[in-house]
Amino acid sequence: MTLDEMEKEVVRLEDIQEIEDLERKYGYYFDTRRVRDVLDLFSEHTTSVEIESHGQYFGKDGVRRMYAVGVGGEAETALKDVVARRDKSSGAGFNIITQLQGVVTLGATGETAKGRWQVWLAESFPFAGRFGQYWLHGYYENEFAKDDGKWMFTKLFWNTTFFTRYETGWIVQPIVGFLPMPNPDTPPTAFHPYPSGYHFPYSFRHPVTGEEDAAVFRYRHPMAT
Amino acid sequence: MATLEELQARIQRLDDIKQIEQLQKIYGYYMDYAEWQKVVDLFSDKDPSVEEADRGVYKGKERIKKYFIDLLGGGPGKTPRPGWLSIMFQLQGVVTCDISATTAKARWYGMGMEAKPTTSLHEGELRQTWISGVYENEYVKEDGKWKIKKLHFNLTFRTPYEDGWLKVPVVGQTGPDSKILPDEPPTAYFPYPSGFHLPVSFKHPITGK
Repeated sequence: MTLDEMEKEVVRLEDIQEIEDLERKYGYYFDTRRVRDVLDLFSEHTTSVEIESHGQYFGKDGVRRMYAVGVGGEAETALKDVVARRDKSSGAGFNIITQLQGVVTLGATGETAKGRWQVWLAESFPFAGRFGQYWLHGYYENEFAKDDGKWMFTKLFWNTTFFTRYETGWIVQPIVGFLPMPNPDTPPTAFHPYPSGYHFPYSFRHPVTGEEDAAVFRYRHPMAT
Repeated sequence: MATLEELQARIQRLDDIKQIEQLQKIYGYYMDYAEWQKVVDLFSDKDPSVEEADRGVYKGKERIKKYFIDLLGGGPGKTPRPGWLSIMFQLQGVVTCDISATTAKARWYGMGMEAKPTTSLHEGELRQTWISGVYENEYVKEDGKWKIKKLHFNLTFRTPYEDGWLKVPVVGQTGPDSKILPDEPPTAYFPYPSGFHLPVSFKHPITGK
């Protein structure tokens, strides 16, 4: 291996690590409602962002509308103000959005990448007339690009498996309710929660056979025989 | 100052660890979607083995195929029944590469949420369960690709959602299958509250023990 080839290998390994860290940091920022910091993780060339049943938002402007207005209140609000306001209102609303099991696949040029994660949440917030505690699960398929030597999100897509009450569990109540946001650009694009059997396509190839994901949606109606 | 060869070996080692981590995580994603053939294809052709919970050990590629496709999958081409759910996080991997850089071991936590038919008072009913356990796996590099050589999932608990691990540590699955028999009995099936510690594959990072 020449020095040039070795440098390429080091850059590739660093890129994967940086993207894995980026995704984890996104989770930590989101958990503490650091909306400004979340926004800054997204490229100006972001194509779309879609979470749960919030609907799909296009472009960096969509990212602002989704996170700033939808999730966190005003984008420019300082963390301490958000915390102070929430202390006054609901008190114990919180979320832990764990970013797990990342598999990053770099594009051929090394300037773009895709990655799959599991997303698993413990949350509490007021919904359907009462304060509740919830488990949520889904899979991410996200996209990234290197802008000025820094990795950023260009697409974030969270595909929901379930959103259930702590007291009941996913088999009893897979979806507590819908969480629509104001003014998405499109409705949710692949909202097929449990028990649909939806196959959310993998971005990675089979590590041994090299086969691409055929993404067969094996939906079976619960009354099918 | 390291030589080019030494640097190359160190880069290769980092790449090997990353590839093994991805292999195990992808194994998890395929298991979640009941993609049994794709799971089988992750295993080495040379003397692989699989053992999960109290199902016993299946040895060799053909038996592994039998285990995943026929035993877990219900036969070739079968799809899981409506309501079947399998989510198993592949967490906290510690990969130890052998000095030859062609074999490796790794420990992982498997933690998940399931809805599966269980052997219980109401035979075959779907129940929602929490599952947790530890993997100690082995890997081998063949033709430049890392594959699973040995997969061992050591169950800690599989508890009904409604009960929890203290009340009901394990529900469902009571020993090896009676039709598709394993090649060897379970080697280390001691779920909670046994206090069993599955031996770790890594050495102490400070003392080297």
